Parts: sequence; structure tokens; C-alpha cells
Amino acid sequence: MSAIVDRTSLDPSQPNMPTSDSPNHSQRRFRPDALIAIAALLALILLGAALLAPFIAPFDPDAQRLLARLKPPIGFSGSDARYWLGSDQLGRDMLTRCLYGLRLTLLIALFGAALGLALGALAGLVAGMVGGTVDAIIMGLCDVKIAIPFTLVALLVIAIAGASAVVLVCVLSLAYWAQFARLIRAQVLTIREMPYIEAARAAGATSMRIAIWHVLPNIVSPVIVMFTLNISNLILLESSLSFLGLGVQPPTATLGSMVGLGRDYMATAPWVVASPAILIMLVSLTVMLLGDWLRDHLDVRLRER
Amino acid sequence: MQTLLKLRLTGTAAALLLSGIAMAQELTVGVQNMSAYLDPGRDFSNVGSQHYFNSFDPLIGKDHSKAESAWTPTGVATSWRQVSPTVMELKIRQGVKFHNGDTMTVEDVQFSLDRIVNFTFPPYGIRKRDTLPNIAKVEVIDAQTIRITATKPEPLFETLLNAQQTMIVPKKYVMGLSGDPSKLEDSDYEAFSLKPVGTGPYKITEFIPNQRLVYERFDGFWGDKAPFKKITLRRIPELTGRITALKSGEVDLITNIPPDQISVIANDTKLKVESTVTPLFHVVIFNTQHPKMTAKIRQALSYAIDRKTLNEALWGGKALVPNTHTYPQFGALFMPELNTFEYNPSKAKQLLKEAGYDGFEIRYDTGSAYYTNALLAAQAIKEMWAEVGVKMRINVDEAWTGNSPEMMSRNWSNPMYYPDPAGSFGVMWSPTGNAASEGRWKPDATFQASWEKFRFSTDLATRKTAYTELMNYVKGDPPVLVLWQPYESYGMKKNLSWKPQPGHIPYVLDFRAGRVRLAGQ
Repeated sequence: MSAIVDRTSLDPSQPNMPTSDSPNHSQRRFRPDALIAIAALLALILLGAALLAPFIAPFDPDAQRLLARLKPPIGFSGSDARYWLGSDQLGRDMLTRCLYGLRLTLLIALFGAALGLALGALAGLVAGMVGGTVDAIIMGLCDVKIAIPFTLVALLVIAIAGASAVVLVCVLSLAYWAQFARLIRAQVLTIREMPYIEAARAAGATSMRIAIWHVLPNIVSPVIVMFTLNISNLILLESSLSFLGLGVQPPTATLGSMVGLGRDYMATAPWVVASPAILIMLVSLTVMLLGDWLRDHLDVRLRER
Repeated sequence: MQTLLKLRLTGTAAALLLSGIAMAQELTVGVQNMSAYLDPGRDFSNVGSQHYFNSFDPLIGKDHSKAESAWTPTGVATSWRQVSPTVMELKIRQGVKFHNGDTMTVEDVQFSLDRIVNFTFPPYGIRKRDTLPNIAKVEVIDAQTIRITATKPEPLFETLLNAQQTMIVPKKYVMGLSGDPSKLEDSDYEAFSLKPVGTGPYKITEFIPNQRLVYERFDGFWGDKAPFKKITLRRIPELTGRITALKSGEVDLITNIPPDQISVIANDTKLKVESTVTPLFHVVIFNTQHPKMTAKIRQALSYAIDRKTLNEALWGGKALVPNTHTYPQFGALFMPELNTFEYNPSKAKQLLKEAGYDGFEIRYDTGSAYYTNALLAAQAIKEMWAEVGVKMRINVDEAWTGNSPEMMSRNWSNPMYYPDPAGSFGVMWSPTGNAASEGRWKPDATFQASWEKFRFSTDLATRKTAYTELMNYVKGDPPVLVLWQPYESYGMKKNLSWKPQPGHIPYVLDFRAGRVRLAGQ
């Protein structure tokens, strides 16, 4: 996304060149509206499916029919009409497991991102507002965190605390807190020199009040963008950790753990892996597209002047 | 020009032929698990049992092509005689060499048994209790004769002297491995288990614990020479990784193929599958000493598991679901008529009610990929227990929890260590067996009396009666539920002739002469 409009493209004598007034001008800087509309619709469907899973899922996610295991989806030879997306290695309904898996994956990613944001926001605010040694220490911690491979950290935490959804949320919160901290600190450094901050300080406002009432509201936009983009990364990260067996324990399913436990069946029953893998792809793609759109609209550096 | 071309083609063909022959001298095996140590006297794991037969010899040999025991003078003993109910004498083969070049003597034979019988190294103490509790002493009579004396009349001398745990190891070599070479120290035994030496047709030239083991042909072997110059065992824990390695030609043979995946290999025109019902049980074990795991609760949990349906679903019906703890290999002591393990969900619910089950969660421990189908079975059992009202939580933990007081239930295996009920049920559940040693099973005086009668009687009818009593005891106060004998499959290249032998203990990868051949060799 170029921040500066290309002047030559504004020459109306150039055939078919978009001008600042032409509808096509927006295509050079933003995603096509149709794609965003599709992404938004998909997001609604996925969120709706996740929220309503307990009401719309045809079976209990752990209900087994052992003698109906590894049935293919309907339309394929050998399918069972009860199992629209087929059944897994224990005769559990794939559609139900995908719905519940999506629900849990989104929950874990959302909470992980929120916790990471809270940690990062606190660190960034304190670093930016206090400055000096405190700032140096916090930024040093950020550098250390970014330098250490995250998978190593995840393995260590899970080895100590055990594998569960709660531990997974905590581990995922550690993934991007440093990025949040840096972003927020940078924003704070800019804003704290603003005249209205000076005025608030002169009026006797404490640092805490200034941080909460004057600084935070003015840095929401970039934070929202980063939050949205990080959810997509966390979904993929959660899927990877669960694939490795470091996430929730069976029979509870997340999309990643379904792919992990189903990988032995890729050659003989590929639907066991394909359904959750496609969902992971759709969710990540949707969130990334929407995150990009939000960034384009909220990031002041990309706004048309 | 044509002559040059012909020469070149001939040379290429010769090189290919030679490389083909050279390659046929080597075998690579992808195994699911690999040992952390190698000492036949110390080890009773399914993982270790894969390895020892190629490098170590027992005292008394066996015809492994038969399921029933047929003892043969193909071990390091050329003949034997039970002098009395408590004494066995054996004549030891002369001129046998160890892999390090030392000549095997009667002192080595005496040492191999005595290190367990009069143990100082704690792991041998466990084997003493569960495998050789009745052996009192091992004496050298002369340069060719060993005398073994039991405390009580011993009906299983030959069986025990064929067991993996009594395979022969070199005394002087072990003593010299660390510290004072004139003394036997614990560090010597630890060092031996990383650099093992035996008398078998293959010497172990490389061992990386949990990763890799390399055998090379031992030219000094006293018997038929090994068919392969070199055999490499590589650990590939992932099933898809093993199958890929086989299909790509990286390995010649792979282990632990679940029934679901047999077609993936069998449908490949270059590959084939050999399968067998293994003389080992997958079991569910209970901590009978846990305050919440009362006899009625454990009985209920046993009655709630539909093993036949699990077999249909997970094994394609090919596993063997027994009604009691017995194997065909037991010969006259094979007792399938006993009815120790049953599926009866109504009875399970009634027992839970009588036990006052209040809905407490039962933890079920399992590794993620140690036993074929174990994690699937755990999830299926969870649902079966839920159907009778029991709450279960699956705890996936690679560590062994069998000796933890917090353990409530878990999966395990109960191999046939030697072909007698004492060598399977007894190793685990006798008053001196593994379960008692680890504190999760404390059989009372009634059980102990029946055990003594069973283990040490030389009368078959008495042994059968006593074993029936033991199985009835287990039915009423279960420390274990037998699930099935698994149907284990091996994938291999089509030109490899190898199959598991019915007379072996589980999982033995027997690559001795006459057992394996690569076509073109």
C-alpha cells in the first residue's frame, strides 16, 4: 500500500488511468470491496457457527459409534447419511467436531490475544510514560522475548504446567505481548508530548489518569489492527501446538489437534484431516483480510490526505 | 567404438550387480520405539525384547517356529539334566566366543545368573523377584558343568533358562568397564547397558539410546552365520514417518502398523505386510491401593468395557479377546474355559450403586503412542465408562505413572515373558511381581496360598486348580482387565522374507540364520 499517491496516475490524458475521483482509485490502495464483503460474510458465518455450535451440532462432539468409524462424507461411496462430513477414527461426527473445534480454537486464540494485549499494553504504557531505566528494562525484556524461539518457550511452559486449554491460552499470550508493548510504547512516546497532555498535567492529572483517559483512547486504532492480525497468527500457532500434542487433551478437540490426531489417516481417510484444515485456512484468511482492511482504514499513515 | 560402448555397458552392469549384492548385505529397520539401555538381565520391556535375541544366547534353546515350547540344545548348554526337583545341571558348550573376543567359560554362565540371583544392582533385584524368585544359587561344578539350585521344587527350570533375562553376558568385560576392574560395581552394569556384549550371531557396534542400534555380523559366532553383514534399527516414532520411509525405500522393514494402515502398505506393489496375534495382552490396570478404587468400583469399570466391539472397531476383529489370562503357548496350562473378564454394563451400574460411587473423576493415564491403538482405546473406554455413569479424564503422560500413589487407572501391557502362566500373569501379579513391587497391588493370604500352590507344584492338575483360584480372585478383586492380544503388523519390501516367529516372546526381531532373507542375496 503506497502512502503517497502516484502523481502520474492522476494525469487524465492517460487512458484508463485511475484518478483521485475515479472509483477505481480505491483499488490501488484498498482491497476490492467484494472481497471484503465476502470476508465479512464468512467471518459472520464462522463466528455464528462457533457461537451456536451447541445448538446446531447434530451430535455430542465426543459421542462415538465405533462400528461407524472412518465413514466418508456424503456423496462418496460408503458414506453414512448421518455424517455429512464423514466420521473420524472413533466414529465421531466430523461436522460436530469441526464446529466445537472451531469454537474452542477461536476462544483460545481470542483469549490468548486479549491476554497478550493486556500484558503488552501494560508494559508499553509503563515504558512509555515512565521512561528512563524502566523503559530500558521493559524494552530489553521485549528484545529477549523476540530473540528466543517461541516454540521453545511453549514447550518449556507446557512441560512444567501440563497441557490444557488454560495453559495454552497463557502460552499464546506470551507469543505477541512484546509486539504490543513496542507498538503502544511508540504511540505513547508520540502522544505524551501533545499539548492536551501538557494541559492535563498542568491541571493536576496523575500519570495514571493521563494514561487511562488521554493516552489509551488515542492509540486504540493501531492496537485494534494489530490485535486482529495477531488473532490470525494465534490461530495458526494454536493449531501447530495442538498438532504437536501440546494443546488440549483428547477427546477435547481444537482444529489443530484434529489435524494432528488425524494425520495417520491422510492416505486412507483424508476427510479426517481435510475438514479441520480447511476451516483453519478459512478462519486465518478471513481474519487476515479483515485485519488488512481495518489497517487500511484506521492507520492514519495510509489515509488519503 | 562399439567395443568401447560394450565395455562401458558391461562395466556399468557389473557395478550395479555388485552394488546390488553389497546392498543385500544390509538391512534397515524403522522401529516405533528404541530402548534407553540394553541389558537382557535387567530389561522386561516390549521395546527391549525386540533387540536381544540377535546378540545374546540363552542357556537352553527353543524351536521358535512352534508356539508350544520345544526345548533344543541350541543355546550355550549342550545338554541338561534335572537331578532332583530342586537341582538342574547343565553342560556348557565349549569354544563359544563373546563379541569382544573373550572365550565364554562356566564362570560367565554362573555370573550371568548370579548377578540377578544375588543381586547388588537394584534393577536386577526386580528381576530376581518377578522372574527368578525360586533360584537360590548357581555353582560351577567343573569347566563344563553348572549346577542351579532352587529353594523349592521347580517345575519351570527349562522355561526359565530359556528366558531373555537369563541370557549369557561376559563377567570380565563387565567388571572392567568402570572403576576397579577386579570388582563388580553398579557403574559396571550401567556401562554394560550402553555397550553390551554377548555371544549371538550379531555384535552391537553402535547404540544411541532411544535412537539407533547397529548390528554387525559376528564372524566368531559358534552357530550358523548371520545372514546380514549389517542391520540398522532406526527409531521413527511417527507412523506416517515410518510408512513414508518404507515407501521411499529408506528402510526395508517397519514395525507397529495398526490395522487401519495395512492397506496403505499392502496396496503398494513393491511392499507387503506380515501380521501376527502377539503373545502379549494390552491391559487396563488399576491402583488397588488408591482409597477410591475399591474392589466394586474396579469390578464395575471392568464390566463396563465392551472389548468385542473395541476389537471390531480398532482391530478389524483381528485381535484376540480372551475370557481369562491365558495363551495357547501355555500348552497344557492353556485354560480358555475360565470366565474371568466379561462385558456386563447392567452389572457395572449395579456395582457402582453398591459401591456408592459419587461421580468422582477417575484419571486414566496413557502415553500418546507407545502401544498400537492405545490412545483410541482410551477415548473409547472413556465413553463406555460414561455410559454406565463413570467420569473419566484421560491423562496423556509419557512418563510411567504405575508407581505413583495418585495413579488410578492406566493402560499397560502384560507380555508372555516365558511360556507359562507364571511367565505372564505371574511376572506382573504374583506376590513378588512387578505390581506388588511398585506398591499398587497387595494380594492377601488367600491369593498368596493359591499362588504358592500354582507356582511350585509339579502336578499339572494341582497347578490348573490353583490357577483357577487365582483367576476367580482376580475376577472379584481385579488389579487388571485384559483387553486383547493385539494384531501386530510389520510392513516390508516384497523381496524380504521375514515374519515374526510364534515361539518367541512379543516383538522379537529375529534376524538369525534361516529367519530372514532378502531376495537377490
